[in-house]
Amino acid sequence: MSFTSVEFIIFLILVMMVYFLTPKRYRWVALFVANYVFYYFAGGGYFLYLILTTLSIYGATMVLDQMIGQNKRAFAQVKDELDREQKKLWKANFTKKKKKVLLAAVLFNFGILAVLKYSGFVGSNINAVFSGLSLGISVPTYDFLLPLGISFYTFQSIGYLIDVYREKQVPERNLAKVALFLSFFPQMVQGPISRFSQLAEQLYRPNAFSYDRAKFGVQLMVWGAFKKLVIADRARVIVDAIFGFPETFTGTYVAVGALVYCVQLYGDFSGGIDIATGAAQILGIDLEKNFERPYLATSIPDFWRRWHITLGAWFRDYVFYPLSLSKFSTKMGKKARKVFGNYVGKLFPVLIPQFIIFFLIGVWHGAEWKYIAFGFYNGTLIVLGILLEQPLSQLADKLGIKRQCFSWHLWQILRTLALVAVGKIITRAAGIGQSVSMLKSMVESWDTSILFGDGLLQFGLDVQDMWVLTIAILVLLAVSIMQETGISIRTTLAKQNILFRWVIYLIAIFTLFIFGVYGLEYDASDFIYRGF
Amino acid sequence: MDELMAILTELRPDVEFEGNTELIDAGELDSFDIVSLVGELCDTFDIEIGAEEIVPENFNSVEAMLALVERLQED
Repeated sequence: MSFTSVEFIIFLILVMMVYFLTPKRYRWVALFVANYVFYYFAGGGYFLYLILTTLSIYGATMVLDQMIGQNKRAFAQVKDELDREQKKLWKANFTKKKKKVLLAAVLFNFGILAVLKYSGFVGSNINAVFSGLSLGISVPTYDFLLPLGISFYTFQSIGYLIDVYREKQVPERNLAKVALFLSFFPQMVQGPISRFSQLAEQLYRPNAFSYDRAKFGVQLMVWGAFKKLVIADRARVIVDAIFGFPETFTGTYVAVGALVYCVQLYGDFSGGIDIATGAAQILGIDLEKNFERPYLATSIPDFWRRWHITLGAWFRDYVFYPLSLSKFSTKMGKKARKVFGNYVGKLFPVLIPQFIIFFLIGVWHGAEWKYIAFGFYNGTLIVLGILLEQPLSQLADKLGIKRQCFSWHLWQILRTLALVAVGKIITRAAGIGQSVSMLKSMVESWDTSILFGDGLLQFGLDVQDMWVLTIAILVLLAVSIMQETGISIRTTLAKQNILFRWVIYLIAIFTLFIFGVYGLEYDASDFIYRGF
Repeated sequence: MDELMAILTELRPDVEFEGNTELIDAGELDSFDIVSLVGELCDTFDIEIGAEEIVPENFNSVEAMLALVERLQED
């Protein structure tokens, strides 16, 4: 059941009717049932892993809850007799105990993800090493079918677990409610990854129907479908041609392919997120923002703050801060300050965790060396950016370059886009070797003449499709620039006269029907991030 | 308060801290600033700030940071 299928629209209407007709105190139960019905139809009946994660997270949070309660009571009794050092020791001992429960649940759940996602990759690499050493032995390799949304719900559940461990979140004691939080159907295809504190209460409370919310939700879904069906699925034809035939499409074609892939990926992923967010909005639930016009970013760190925001925030809160604030990092930082001086020394505690994060983000994208290379590429760019920030800024001052003007801002955006596009080549090419040869050919055989005449009509899209794609991208750009300057399109539209509003709605709907790319081969599997 | 302000202005001289209540929410301090800031706070005030304390509510304003420091000093 794809987000862009008629089945999904019917399913959503049914869920809406059942949800709002159910007595208030049982609305969360209706949502819980809807989630599992969706998971059954969209996920091919792979319930086992979702249930294992739900049960293990529930069990671990209940154990932690009990431990925290007991510790609080015990501590209250002796608190006044302890000095500062003894209190610290008490806290450290209790943290050790809690950590055992945390680690067991984290290892179990990431273990499931690792086995399903990476065992094929690890096995084939071990076999490659054995074969290289001519050992004549091999390990069996398995390629499992990934259950729907496993990366997303695993990360969401671990986030909840860590919040409980950190005593920042009181755990939910009702197992069915925990199951509801971990299976909310709009998030199951490709996120966003939500926090318990942000989402759970919205799922549990009885939301009332609101015409305005439903209208905004439908508008967002139509906009998401436009990005997916009109832009991404059309751009995909160009991308598949260029990356599928790298010997034919060399030189400037590589740059075209990389930029169009940027558009495809954004249209696909953010389009899917818009549909999910709109569907949730209809039911009275606000999901967290996952994109904020990433291609208008002015630096690579800025890009990562705007792209897949919930994944970045997850890694920041649950991996980056614990690593960079650890005693080891702090000690390293102090030593580095003595050796390299204050500027570089101060950066030391963040540089290594930053590399680790991007390695993990790379691995999260898939079990292939190219994704690890992609992580390394981004980590390097960020670290270089930090190290060179001060010297480059001094150089710009010396050269008298103005940095508070539109042209500089535009230069920053284009520079960032070019660096991001190179990263996209790494992930989209068949392997690291191919991406290197494509990048090489781009530099060596640059030929701008392909941009004119029939040069851009070699990919399987005719003139009309190319125009539709170009105009659709310009519409997306115009909307993005308006949003960037603080204009809310949906609120502005709501203030207009009914006739004007409906003209816009009808144009949007007809655009989708006439210019959307449809066909038998387009189903839910075509959402690229669904596979992660 | 003065010590805290001195640390903050040395860390980010370009940011207006006084009266600002959205230092994290508005993106004026990023994660790298926070790590440097936490290191300085721990050294100056002889406290330990764990990752669990790194939430926007504790760093959105100078007052919130001061409250965090005082709470951890009492613990």
